[in-house]
Amino acid sequence: MKIKDQFRFVLQNIKKNKVRTGMTILATAMGCAFLIVLASVGYGLQESIVKDTLEQQIVTEIDIYGHIEEDDNYRSLTMEDIDYLESIDNVNAVTRRNQLRQFPTFSLDDYQSETTAVAAHFPSEVDAGLELDEGRLPEKPNEVVVGYHFLDYFVQDVEDEDIYDEASGEIKDEYLYQADLIGQTLNMTVKKDLDVDGEEQTTPLTVVGILKKPTKEWVQDQNVYISGEVFAGVEAYTGTPGGELGVDGDELDSATVNAFDEVKVYATNLEAVQTIVDELDDSNYASYSVVSEMKQINMLFTIMKAGLILVGTIAILIASIGIYNTMTMAVTERAPDIGIMKAIGANPKTIKQIFLLESSYIGIVGALIGTIVAYLVSFLVNLGLPLIIEFAFQEELPEQLQFSMIPVSLVLISVGICLLVTILSGLRPAKRATQIDVLKAMRREI
Amino acid sequence: MITVNQLSHHFILGKKKQETTLSVLQDISFQVNKGEIVTIVGKSGSGKSTLLNLISGFIRPTEGGIWINDQQVSDLTEAEFADFRLEHMGFIFQSFQLIPSMTAFQNIELPLILKGESESSRKKITLAILEKVGLTEFADHYPSELSGGQQQRVSIARALVLNPPLILADEPTGSLDSETETELLQFIKQLNQEMEITFLIITHDDEVAAIGDRTITISDGRIVEGARSQ
Repeated sequence: MKIKDQFRFVLQNIKKNKVRTGMTILATAMGCAFLIVLASVGYGLQESIVKDTLEQQIVTEIDIYGHIEEDDNYRSLTMEDIDYLESIDNVNAVTRRNQLRQFPTFSLDDYQSETTAVAAHFPSEVDAGLELDEGRLPEKPNEVVVGYHFLDYFVQDVEDEDIYDEASGEIKDEYLYQADLIGQTLNMTVKKDLDVDGEEQTTPLTVVGILKKPTKEWVQDQNVYISGEVFAGVEAYTGTPGGELGVDGDELDSATVNAFDEVKVYATNLEAVQTIVDELDDSNYASYSVVSEMKQINMLFTIMKAGLILVGTIAILIASIGIYNTMTMAVTERAPDIGIMKAIGANPKTIKQIFLLESSYIGIVGALIGTIVAYLVSFLVNLGLPLIIEFAFQEELPEQLQFSMIPVSLVLISVGICLLVTILSGLRPAKRATQIDVLKAMRREI
Repeated sequence: MITVNQLSHHFILGKKKQETTLSVLQDISFQVNKGEIVTIVGKSGSGKSTLLNLISGFIRPTEGGIWINDQQVSDLTEAEFADFRLEHMGFIFQSFQLIPSMTAFQNIELPLILKGESESSRKKITLAILEKVGLTEFADHYPSELSGGQQQRVSIARALVLNPPLILADEPTGSLDSETETELLQFIKQLNQEMEITFLIITHDDEVAAIGDRTITISDGRIVEGARSQ
């Protein structure tokens, strides 16, 4: 018997008991919708958190904290480590920075700013994606670039005047440096020791470029990026690593000398990050990347989603009792017809297939309706729940927060579970149909 | 065509551990040749219906064997017997056994569907059979809208639709009036002559028994007459 004909039989049988089958389909649809909506909360929250994490970080960036020594202590990274890191496959760039361990004063005419000076290796910074807003990169030791927000804090040196705007709390425009900074010479003043009136050294530095605005809204880049030579000059002047004040250079650990404060590895793409992290682990480097965080977040949400799907499956299991009942009733009602069919030569396998097809049909239609309802509920939840929470708790929720999300994989999992459960619940009635005694059925004794 | 050899059958009655055995058929042996009409007669409870059910494969014999077209059918599994029935046997029942929710056309078409025939071929064959049994205009009628004679003709059409070489009939005229009975018997005779279909008919009606080439009489589960063909 062809599947097409079996399906026609099923439709004829369903037509005869529209209400009963309709109710069973409704119960299955409710179970399926409950499962999808419940699990969609897990998917939605995971999506929001992952998105948020990825937006906060450059995904191909790997922070290297140091090398783990045999005694479990961390060793700062040196040029030797940089060479090794650059030799790893799929590494696009290895940036290394050293920060002056005192805040120098940068001044131009009567404007000045006390900010961080960072010695960076520009070729690797460019490879890692560093871009200029205007100007060019330094080519000579006394040339510098400044961060995008440097000018926001480059203030006129005035006394007894309120330079801050009362309303915004920001420095008033008239006190900020307004002219073009490119080509101007900044004087960098560093101290030799902690004495307030102590000795100072001033180095003239030419500003040749301004860096692009950081992609993260909240990051303020007001650094001045100096050359390694200027950095070394400060170290030589103070006699301490990084020009640190209040320490005795001779007593410092040799490991911190000629080491980098901040080393970052940039992978060529996101897929390569995990391989590089694995290699770094093997070579005893302490590292952190967005992949490590993603792994933890995904693991947590996988457990959560599995739990939610399990709870949702209980709803489908309850609906399956309805399917079992409907199919058992159908077999009992149609026993005489089954008897006649068997008598004229219907194979028990065909009888079984017809009943399994019927329970599968209930499952498919139920799952289909359930999925549509779930999408509708998910849409309403995402639309309405933030408004309700904001109204009830007077708290504003993050804009990208998504309570419920239904990916295709969830639909496939739910429809799969729904189908499996409905087929299983129709299995016993279908088997019973094949065992119907022809003679009893034809005598209407069943 | 049919060979029944030393066939015995008994039913087990009663509750578990208190069963009693009821012997229905004992040492039955006979043959039916191709193209023959054989009628089996006997009193009520003589075992004739049990014999037909055993040949049909609806129940399994306790002892002995049944061969149809040289195949030992008594050894077939339920599924194999179902396929064998579809291919080689047609059935006519006393109470017609039509599916009430199906039209005359759909009831006749059913064996063709079970065999997996295409829709166009099914339609052609079914319409031809409907014409043969004179029910073309009743094709879309449900069994409840047909007379007893018409229902039995639908039942015969269903039995003939796959051109089986053997038709088993259990009291085929039992629910019909005498006029329709005569018509039906003439039709059976015509089918036998034109299509060489072998008929094995169970009856207690002398008029039906008379159309047989041979009559086997069963009494108390044993053949008392007609086991051998003339």
